[in-house]
Amino acid sequence: MALFDPKGARAETRQVAGKSVAVLLAPRLVRRGFLHDVFYGLKSLLTGMRVTLPYGLTTSRIVTRQYPENRGTLKMYERYRARLTFIRDGQGRHTCTGCRNCEKACPNGSIIIETAKGAVTGKNEVQRFIWRFDACTFCNLCVYTCPFDALEMKGDFEHAVFDRRLLVYNLNSYAGPHASLWDKVEDEEQRKTLATKISPYDGKVPLAGTSMAGCPARAHGEGGAS
Amino acid sequence: MSVFSPAAVIAAPQVFEVKTLASRAATALPGSLLESALYVLLAVVWIVALLALTGLALIYLERKIAGHFQCRLGPMRVGPHGIFQTVADTIKLLVKEDFVPDGADKVLHVVAPFLALTATILLLVILPLSPILQAADMNIGVVYVTAISGFGVMGILLGGWSSNNKWSMIGAMRAGAQIISYEISATLALLVVVLFAGTLRLSGIVQSQADGWWIWRAHGVGVVAFVIYVIASTAEINRTPFDIPEGESELAAGFHTEYSGIRFAFFFLAEFINMFLVAGFAATFFWGGWMPFHVGGLDGFNSVMDLVPAGAWFAAKTSALVFLVMWFRWTFPRLRVDQMMRLEWKILLPVGFVNLFAAALVVLYGLYFFPGT
Repeated sequence: MALFDPKGARAETRQVAGKSVAVLLAPRLVRRGFLHDVFYGLKSLLTGMRVTLPYGLTTSRIVTRQYPENRGTLKMYERYRARLTFIRDGQGRHTCTGCRNCEKACPNGSIIIETAKGAVTGKNEVQRFIWRFDACTFCNLCVYTCPFDALEMKGDFEHAVFDRRLLVYNLNSYAGPHASLWDKVEDEEQRKTLATKISPYDGKVPLAGTSMAGCPARAHGEGGAS
Repeated sequence: MSVFSPAAVIAAPQVFEVKTLASRAATALPGSLLESALYVLLAVVWIVALLALTGLALIYLERKIAGHFQCRLGPMRVGPHGIFQTVADTIKLLVKEDFVPDGADKVLHVVAPFLALTATILLLVILPLSPILQAADMNIGVVYVTAISGFGVMGILLGGWSSNNKWSMIGAMRAGAQIISYEISATLALLVVVLFAGTLRLSGIVQSQADGWWIWRAHGVGVVAFVIYVIASTAEINRTPFDIPEGESELAAGFHTEYSGIRFAFFFLAEFINMFLVAGFAATFFWGGWMPFHVGGLDGFNSVMDLVPAGAWFAAKTSALVFLVMWFRWTFPRLRVDQMMRLEWKILLPVGFVNLFAAALVVLYGLYFFPGT
């Protein structure tokens, strides 16, 4: 029985097409005696058993999590992606300018943005940032393309609902300017008129070709106020 | 204070008197037929209880240990830490449809799992769990063990043959080749112990280890025989790395592909009890069975060891060996058929013969520990 002896491998430099190339020479396959093979085999089996024993005897290497029981303490991994949300400052303001980069980047039309010119600021302001949780593939492209770091994928879970319409909703909690435009408006009275509160389900949800009761089908990107 | 006197206990080394249930029944027979019948009934209940409870415990343990070896938890839901998982699975298997595939040999298909389980039960009968917990004992115990463990392959062969399925057929044929081959090495290893003990009776073999277990008293040849026996018996019970007859990746489930419900449960139970039996016999032959850890001549030490009951010694040794077999399963990769055959015929068999010859010399010249006793 020929056995591979890793100690027999040696490195050397060879001339290949005018260049010196470092090569690792595989050792010669050597034929050893019967007893050597038996003891070598037993030794390698024991090595394997030594590797697996700590796994079998200890509980510290177990990676399984007892999900419903540990939901209070369960932390998802940093790279786990689930719910798309606006990053908000302390006053609940987002930084989305409604530039639609994310809408264009989205591979399956899960993001539809409605914008309007703000009466006070004269700039584009997000009226509704509609996200289709039911269609989203969590590819994270919207987060990558956002020039203003307005979006993030939250690591929360348990999003199951009984009606899929509940999965199409507005990310923004107010229709109005983004955070830096607020600061430019100095008049206190004017500031109060900047934003209108909206709920996640305000307005019709454009179902991108699908119709549901109370909500006719619309083409992709066709937003429009209800 | 006066009730327990360590000096009195240590002064008198324990003498183990073997009383099997069968011998009790035989002794009681002339006096009272009823008492004798009760002993027989007790033996039957004992075997059935041992079969059922060991099966439940081992399947649960296997799944738990498999889980831990794979960084999982194993069953956790049914009962605390999943202790009722096997019970739930058993109930599920019992209520499942008892299915005989089209074109199968119906009679053989139905009979096969019972044959497999029968061999297991027949072996349980003779396993000495403690001086008083042994259903029957016989003067040709080792021959009986070898014969019956070879009989178990009948169930597997018939099951595979009668299923009318090529996977089952191949699996059964592999099992036949494997079990019959490894039977030889296992027997050669047992013969070493028979040489040392000078008896084929299982209780006699256990009692012959009153001065020390054969694994160390017979030093070199004992260890080699033990290793051969563990390897060969692992192959005999079709466990990884010798699970070629089942070979999930190549044969679906091997000989029990077409079995479901209670008859699959029988095959499964027989497999797990066989693991217990193999561990039990390895403990009996090499690790002293229920005999406490004794060193010849050290009566004080031996008396201290006798404080642990014999049954506990057997349980501890068997558990350790069962864990060893499970440990094998979650460490070693499966052998190929030709590798399996080469291991037996080119390695284990020659080594076994040489070892047997060496053991004969060791016995002849009294080169082992405490030969005089």
